[in-house]
Amino acid sequence: MEEGMEISSSTQAAESSSSDIVSRARKLLFRRMLVGIKDGRFFLGSFHCMDKQGNIILQDAVEYRNTHRSSPSSMEQRCLGLILIPSSCRTSCHVDCSIEEQLSLLKFQ
Amino acid sequence: MDWKSTEQASMERHAPNHSTSTSSSIHATENTVWADASPLLETVCKELRDGELIHGENFNLYAAMSALEIMDPKMDSGIINKYASVDEAIEDGLAPVPISLDKTVDVQCIIDIIDQLLACEATWHKGHSLAQTVFSCAYLLRPERTLSHALLDSYCKVIRATCKAVNSIVSDARTHEEEDLFTMAYGLPLNVEGDEKCLSLLNAVEENISRQLRACKAPPSKRKLLEDIEPLQNNFDLEEGYCKALLCRIRFRKHFCHVLTCMRRPQGRGLELARKHIASCISELGIILKSEEFLMSNAYGTCEDGTEDRTTASGHQAIGFDASLNSRISAPTPPRSIKILSWKKAIEYFENLLHHLDIICSYLLDPSLDVLLRFVAQFQKAQPDLVARVHLQLLLVQDGKLYGRYPILAVIIRAARLPEVIMRHDIQKNEYVVQLGQIVINMLKILCTNAAWQRRKLGKILQDWRAIYVQLELAFRKEFGEGSSIANGENASAGILKHILIWVEEQTYWIAHRFLVLGFELELYSPSEYCMVYWYLYVVLIRLAEKTHLKMTVSDGSAKQKGKKRKDSPKDLAREARIPPAILFLQCQICLAEGLALLLAALRNELMVLQSPSPFNSEHERFIQHFELLQKACIPDLISYPSFKESTSHARFSSLVMYNYFKDAQKIAKEVKNSFLNDPDRLAELCILEQVAEHNSVAVNVISRVGALDPSLKVSFEFIHHPCFATVVVKRS
Repeated sequence: MEEGMEISSSTQAAESSSSDIVSRARKLLFRRMLVGIKDGRFFLGSFHCMDKQGNIILQDAVEYRNTHRSSPSSMEQRCLGLILIPSSCRTSCHVDCSIEEQLSLLKFQ
Repeated sequence: MDWKSTEQASMERHAPNHSTSTSSSIHATENTVWADASPLLETVCKELRDGELIHGENFNLYAAMSALEIMDPKMDSGIINKYASVDEAIEDGLAPVPISLDKTVDVQCIIDIIDQLLACEATWHKGHSLAQTVFSCAYLLRPERTLSHALLDSYCKVIRATCKAVNSIVSDARTHEEEDLFTMAYGLPLNVEGDEKCLSLLNAVEENISRQLRACKAPPSKRKLLEDIEPLQNNFDLEEGYCKALLCRIRFRKHFCHVLTCMRRPQGRGLELARKHIASCISELGIILKSEEFLMSNAYGTCEDGTEDRTTASGHQAIGFDASLNSRISAPTPPRSIKILSWKKAIEYFENLLHHLDIICSYLLDPSLDVLLRFVAQFQKAQPDLVARVHLQLLLVQDGKLYGRYPILAVIIRAARLPEVIMRHDIQKNEYVVQLGQIVINMLKILCTNAAWQRRKLGKILQDWRAIYVQLELAFRKEFGEGSSIANGENASAGILKHILIWVEEQTYWIAHRFLVLGFELELYSPSEYCMVYWYLYVVLIRLAEKTHLKMTVSDGSAKQKGKKRKDSPKDLAREARIPPAILFLQCQICLAEGLALLLAALRNELMVLQSPSPFNSEHERFIQHFELLQKACIPDLISYPSFKESTSHARFSSLVMYNYFKDAQKIAKEVKNSFLNDPDRLAELCILEQVAEHNSVAVNVISRVGALDPSLKVSFEFIHHPCFATVVVKRS
């Protein structure tokens, strides 16, 4: 009995520690996410998973690239499916949301 | 590689503000905006515990592991290395036209490009993707850019046309299952308008250069007359060398193009002409090789490597190539970096290819299946590459006919030694006979594939052959049952079926024999398994010989019935009593296989060597692994592991010496050689068999005399003479 109590209390503690911020991030799941990486490409897909290291998995992702690096010109795109974007090469990350949401969802601290 | 440094460089170029410009061009959905989530995610990462993930209910760790990792050079084919696109590469000066304003340098560069393309093409033929090899050349990717440069343009055109022709012949043959990257040409400009004129353009260029060559070789007195001819380049001392170097390269291309078109003519009509072009190709290749010295000594700038890896004759890196240009369209290949064959290796490859094509062209399109099967087996011994094998396959089977000439049923009837009149008989409407035609075609196609694939497929089709045999036998019983009671003429179809049945059995054993022999070529058997393999080979060969002999006697018998009025001269009778040479040829192999199987068994029984103490599987299991496909198809009937054990467990040296199988084999080989004077391939094979037999017969005597007494005696089986009949090597260690 006591053990069980302990476990439940510890999970509770864990849940409370998986704070607001984490649950707010959970709300971003399945949303369209646009991730830019170092070499200038962008990936647009639905947010599938993220780990502590900040590696992101996108589902049904499409790759966008400029055909010229110097000047933003025409874009090429191709479908990639399930992709893992390591945090080390990520330079930007945007989610698709309404203006009201933008404020509530992303404001923190 | 240095992708890390390029990564850094590109990072600098892409300031964060640049990203917003692109994200604004990728629209969010209506009434929504792109909100920057990075600060949030950054905080979240700090909050998350080790190993904790943010994921939804549909998350599956296994599925997630198959995600494509971005920026992993082994997975992400889209990494922007040097150039973001072909256009950017060209704007960056990767492939200038003309290559240089200095005409001498221009010519040198073009020769380098030509050489590099040859190396790329050979690499493609060897199984890499077209996008990463030939089409790593930016000049080929933008056909409109080369138009102003006649030499470069015509050469690019001929390369594209050649690639298209080779690509289409390979996809037509559909035997590239294991080499499926070969035909991937998605997104590459293979069908450029105007490429069909490549040969006439190339001819014009060739003519021009040969005029230039003549002009520079003319004595000074005559030179004035020829002054209106503009030289190829500016340095008079080098003119002759460069003209010659270009001419042999252009001529090689021209003839190679002709070879491909001639060989594709229906019914093998172009084979004779193809041989002439092949001969020209080979001689031009020789001249290309000789031009190396001149090109190396006059290369512009410095040659960075004089090593054997260089992909051009001059040793200079060719301009206009970048393997990463097409990395995105080279999918589904993983973005591996590949190694282009060296220029020397490429020439070697083409020499081999042409040699193999020449063998095909010199084949006389014999309507006899026996001759054909022997030819294909002999051809495969040289281990030809895909392109050559594909040409053979397309020659053999065209429009469902042999060489596009003989209906497959006629071929079967001939092979079954039935008179041709039968072609008019109803028998060809029999559905099983039609099916038989299909599986014969199937077999011919399989015989043209690479050894590994061929063996696997042959093993599988054995069951089809068995099934068709059973079906035909049923049909035969039915016909025979009804036919015998009615008129005599009705019996004809039963007679035909009987012939066909015998032939189907013979052919099935032929396939089984090839299946076993290919195992040696592919090195699938370990020495401890040789005993069972030779034993199985022996039983299969016996059946093959039986069926072949039966076929011959039955057909001779029916021929005799037809010609009853002919006097039976004593000469004929004598001929009949003699065993036909083809059977003796098999008999010789039977003796060798039996001898080897029993020798191996005796070694195991008496000297306790070559036993198979594998901890993983028993001998029985390995027997099944090797012969499962044969066993499933009941080839031969009533043969199983116990029968193998039974016939080998009593093998002793004493009996081996008394009845020396190898002596028999040697005797037969010696006798029958004279019958094959017109068949150089089989004659050569017989000589080798005789050699192996002689060698092994001595070895048996040595082992039986000293084997038991001398523990230091080492016996090994080596394939020094014959690829499947081992030579017994006895050594004292």
